[in-house]
Amino acid sequence: MQWEILHIPAKPTSSFEQSTVDVLASNIEPKLANSLVRQLNQVCPLENLRHVKRVRRRSVEGKIELSVILCLSSENENHMEDIPNDVLQLINAHQLSPFNAKVARYAAASKEEWEEQCKLWPTSYHPSTNADGVTGFNEEESQYVFKCMKVAFDLAKTHYHGDKVVNAAVIVDPSCRHIIASACDQTCPRSTLTNETGSKLVSCIEREANTTSTQSDADGLASSKERLFPNFSPDKCSDLYFGVSCLNPWGWAEQRPHHQHSEHQCGNNYPWHPLRHAALIAIEKAAERDRQLFPSIGSSKNLSILDHDLKFASDSSLAKRQKTQVLKNEHSLVNKDGTNSLSSETTRPYLCTGFDIYLVWEPCAMCAMALVHQRIQRIFYALPNPNAGALGSVYRLQGEKSLNHHYSVFRILIPEKALYQVESNGSDDCPLQN
Amino acid sequence: MALSVGADSPSTLKFMELALDQAKFALDNLEIPVGCVIVEDGKVISSGSNRTTVTRNATRHAEMEAIDILLEKWQKIGLDQSQIAEKFSRCDLYVTCEPCIMCATALSILGIREVFYGCANDKFGGCGSILSLHKSGSKNLCREGVLPHKGFKCTGGLMSEEAIALFRSFYEQGNPNAPKPHRPVQVLQ
Repeated sequence: MQWEILHIPAKPTSSFEQSTVDVLASNIEPKLANSLVRQLNQVCPLENLRHVKRVRRRSVEGKIELSVILCLSSENENHMEDIPNDVLQLINAHQLSPFNAKVARYAAASKEEWEEQCKLWPTSYHPSTNADGVTGFNEEESQYVFKCMKVAFDLAKTHYHGDKVVNAAVIVDPSCRHIIASACDQTCPRSTLTNETGSKLVSCIEREANTTSTQSDADGLASSKERLFPNFSPDKCSDLYFGVSCLNPWGWAEQRPHHQHSEHQCGNNYPWHPLRHAALIAIEKAAERDRQLFPSIGSSKNLSILDHDLKFASDSSLAKRQKTQVLKNEHSLVNKDGTNSLSSETTRPYLCTGFDIYLVWEPCAMCAMALVHQRIQRIFYALPNPNAGALGSVYRLQGEKSLNHHYSVFRILIPEKALYQVESNGSDDCPLQN
Repeated sequence: MALSVGADSPSTLKFMELALDQAKFALDNLEIPVGCVIVEDGKVISSGSNRTTVTRNATRHAEMEAIDILLEKWQKIGLDQSQIAEKFSRCDLYVTCEPCIMCATALSILGIREVFYGCANDKFGGCGSILSLHKSGSKNLCREGVLPHKGFKCTGGLMSEEAIALFRSFYEQGNPNAPKPHRPVQVLQ
């Protein structure tokens, strides 16, 4: 069995019942079709069914039969009751006899699916343009993706402290293959104890990921963590996973009796925060890196516009002015798109645009939305999160059309056997050791 | 909840006004104007305004800012997790715009008591507009040993016009991310 990259689509793969919508339709006289469709589109547009054709044309026993969708059917037993008044008027005016029909709920993703849908009721089909990286990773890309996921696993491993595992996040720029930021959960006081070793290891992994490392390096890396790592098994729910923030977001306040003691002995002085999930910290680090790498150098054009704002500012007390001054500098970089000649600025991405994130576990809604806000391009996770996962398990943010940004989501399937071997000693069938 | 106040009671509006002040502060700093206050026992104990632009961190929403202040404060005086959870369960949030999906989840994670918001957020609102994260989850959905999704009471539409007016002025004159004007801006005569 091989490692695999599985695309998690924006719409759920569902049963027939979930994949269809009940509508009310009626056969109509062909000469009525034009005006009726125009009126229906006005009084009862099919907002979420734009892929569905309003009119079905088929030949029945050699005759052309035209049917039109009037409106959605209600779940009510007596469906006539919930028909919008305008539609009811049209039904009466033309003496239509409505019948129930089923149409496909979602636009077809493939030609085969479309052909199936059209057996119910015709839909339109627009083959996707195969957006970059959504499907078809070539062998070399796949190996890189697996390698990055292993970096995330390794990071989680270094933070395993004998009683619980944590989630880990690694933000990567796939264009230059640099690690931008990485982090582990910090929702419990103890999970940061190993921070020091963690960061050392990251830089070490960074070297490994960016250059070609020797086999012995990789072996050394793996064996040093051997004892620290538990057997990750996606289907087991135990105390071990209590510390994985996204799996149990509401668990931070519950102190486990056998942990309580040691925490108090430590004086509870370690930074912890119920919202410091790995992905959020990684975003914070990426933002910090951005501020450091691209400190404020503004173009004169931007400065003049902002100066203007400054002059109009109602309150121009010195303190505020200084504050705005700082902000102004920060802002000028955001403005750069296409207007700047400084090469360092033109290479600066907006937030995490174009970056990928690797997470051991599927993120919760807080983290998944944070990744929308920060404009992450692709999310890769290895283990699903049935409790609170927001990329398909409980919610499916990649399918929320109203959001202003959409990432692609992939799950990396790791055979359990390989998972264990990879973690313990980097066996031969691990594709990351090349 | 005997202490719960009506949605348009004077004290509720007073707190929302303070949240609006925070939003104005954000606007003055060229940030998207959203502000909030957190109230415990009728007293404002924390406040925050949006800081996404200056930090280049799009998760630094007003709610997150106000929450972080409290966590730091409470940890400094030595409160442990269960004590901090207890504190949050007595806190209410007043925010000028409906919390987004991220913030609504965060508020649920912390176990805040009640949320009052100004205008709805029909792009990414997490308290009814897109998802309803303020509603508690069912226990049977969760596996053994995992705590269920916590809900909180949520009331929207408080002084929403004021909140929207701030957004409007931001997009009209203050958005540093807006495309450059076609004609050069006239400097003061």
